[in-house]
Amino acid sequence: MDIFLQQIVNGLTIGSLYALVALGYTMVYGVMRLINFAHGDLVALSAFVGLTVYTQIFGEGITSLVAVIAVFMFTAAIIAVVGVLLERLAYRPLRTAPRLSAVVSALGAGLVIQNAVMLIWGPNMKIFPSEIFPSTIWEIGGIVVTFTQVMILGISAMLMVTLFFFINRTKMGTAIRAVAIDQDAAKLMGINVNRIIMVIFIIGSALGAVAGLFIGAYYRGITFDMGWMYGLNAFVAAIMGGIGNIPGAMLGGLLLGLFNAMITGYISSQWAETFTFILLIVILVFRPTGILGETVAEKV
Amino acid sequence: MTKMFPKFAASLAVCTALVSASVAADVIKIGVQAPITGQYASEGQSIDNGVRLIVDQFNAKGGILGKKIEVVSCDDQGTAQQAAICAKKLVNEGVKAVIGSYTSGATEAAQTTYFRAGILQTSDGTSDSLITHKYWTFFRNSFPNSAEAEYTAKYFVDGKKYKKIVVLSDYSSYSTDLADSVVKALKAKNGNIIYEGKIKSGTQNFTAALTKIKSMDPDVIYYSGYYTDGGLLRAQQIQLGIKADFVGGDSNDNPDFMKLAGGSAEGTFLINVPTPDILPYDIAKQFLVDYKAKYNMMPASIWSLMNIDGLRAVLNGMETTKSEDTKVIAAAMHKLKDFPGITGPVTFREDGERLGGGYMTYEVQADKSYKIVYK
Repeated sequence: MDIFLQQIVNGLTIGSLYALVALGYTMVYGVMRLINFAHGDLVALSAFVGLTVYTQIFGEGITSLVAVIAVFMFTAAIIAVVGVLLERLAYRPLRTAPRLSAVVSALGAGLVIQNAVMLIWGPNMKIFPSEIFPSTIWEIGGIVVTFTQVMILGISAMLMVTLFFFINRTKMGTAIRAVAIDQDAAKLMGINVNRIIMVIFIIGSALGAVAGLFIGAYYRGITFDMGWMYGLNAFVAAIMGGIGNIPGAMLGGLLLGLFNAMITGYISSQWAETFTFILLIVILVFRPTGILGETVAEKV
Repeated sequence: MTKMFPKFAASLAVCTALVSASVAADVIKIGVQAPITGQYASEGQSIDNGVRLIVDQFNAKGGILGKKIEVVSCDDQGTAQQAAICAKKLVNEGVKAVIGSYTSGATEAAQTTYFRAGILQTSDGTSDSLITHKYWTFFRNSFPNSAEAEYTAKYFVDGKKYKKIVVLSDYSSYSTDLADSVVKALKAKNGNIIYEGKIKSGTQNFTAALTKIKSMDPDVIYYSGYYTDGGLLRAQQIQLGIKADFVGGDSNDNPDFMKLAGGSAEGTFLINVPTPDILPYDIAKQFLVDYKAKYNMMPASIWSLMNIDGLRAVLNGMETTKSEDTKVIAAAMHKLKDFPGITGPVTFREDGERLGGGYMTYEVQADKSYKIVYK
């Protein structure tokens, strides 16, 4: 039983990272009907920016929680700016172009970011200092939980709940939902669509940035091309949950993490990816819109 | 026409001689195929640096056979695909010999191309499969996995007396080959292997596989892969509170292992041939001094020094035979006996295997230094 519970803890940790990244995919898709393939690379960029901010500005060895929070906020802000720039330069000029052009532009933007990271920080693996979070470990009835895991689970949950209420309870959230349903009608209601899209990119990129920093703090080793793997998994999570649907992305991420941990734990790690994609196909065959995705009538 | 022909043939022969002389030119090219970028970059750069250092030293003394040596590097990124491209590129460059690559997989992918072109290749790849082709062009400058496996089995069964052994590898040809050899050697000594598993290199999250291992309560977790994953495995093992010893195969011996494992590095056991700083030979001490003076750091690990010994054996072959013909050089290298190398005496068997061994087990101390615990 402890093994099962331990696998749940393992799965939830990686799952909440996938969920944070998946939110970026799903929010952009919901509003713009565009798969932002550059999102995974923003996550990688954030890990590198975060490491530089941490070691250069604050100096290595600082463990105070205030400094760590400052690093997170500062990095998330930088990545949010990069996200907004990405939308301005790579997506806005193509907003009325065929959808395929925008997807190609997204893939290209991803390559640009990835190669820029390689040129700036070099092709070698960079390693996060181990003292970002205290190395406290709790053992509860045979289940091991680390401080970093608690931080990942807690902060991700907090961010997701905040996002949920922001989208569903605030005026801005209502505007975002309106733009997602019908951009033209939203414009007629006096909503500034460009501003809404900017907000979407700020939130999505910042959430991805937090995920990138957690990846660095938890796994320590970061490489310029790691965005692809996390991006792909998060993209699968977003599709599983129903792309365009915010609670769906959260659910998809957590499910994917849990599913992966269970397959690795009870079958074998060789099969984890195979089963993940079989699960994706099964979900898409029986629920093409994803687990929480609603069937929307095609506009004719 | 009959009168013309000898003249024509003679002039043709002169032309050919001129052309080949101008092609052979006044440099001898030596290729480096190494992972200069990518996850094994620190090893690849160290090989490239070391080769350039030795070549500079030769050129300062007037080169070899009266010619300067030129180094042509190709980055194989540690992958088989890039290795195949590098092999073709270096063949086209007209190199006489290739030093590298670092990983067995990248070495194997390029081996046949060099063999067909008659170009000498010397690599530190330890996978036993590298010499199965018996190519006359190939020389292993390290010791094979089977030698390390026998040492490992002896240490586990006779030295540590482990009762429950877990063997982990990644999917690379080197790592699976070493793990298979270790399993075979352990079984021959009646060692009790309770689990054999694989992890996917670069996925970073090994907690699920480790949790499964935790339930088996092993005495030791042996990992045959590379330091980039080994360091994380060790960190996550300690994090999950798995009490077992962690023993890493030779490719875990890299400073980045310590950085990745962080505080968990202490108490890790690493099995390898002697580290560069404890090599007893004068030639090794001199090399390290020169290397440090030129690059202001130490070589990444013993592997670059093994490759340097491969290079030195090739250059020695050229000098002693006074020939640029790779067949002649290879024949001389096969006859080489106890050539004084940086990593110890170099002797090649007929199939290109380097004879010898001399493994040690190191325990990583709190200050990340090594203590020899078993020879």
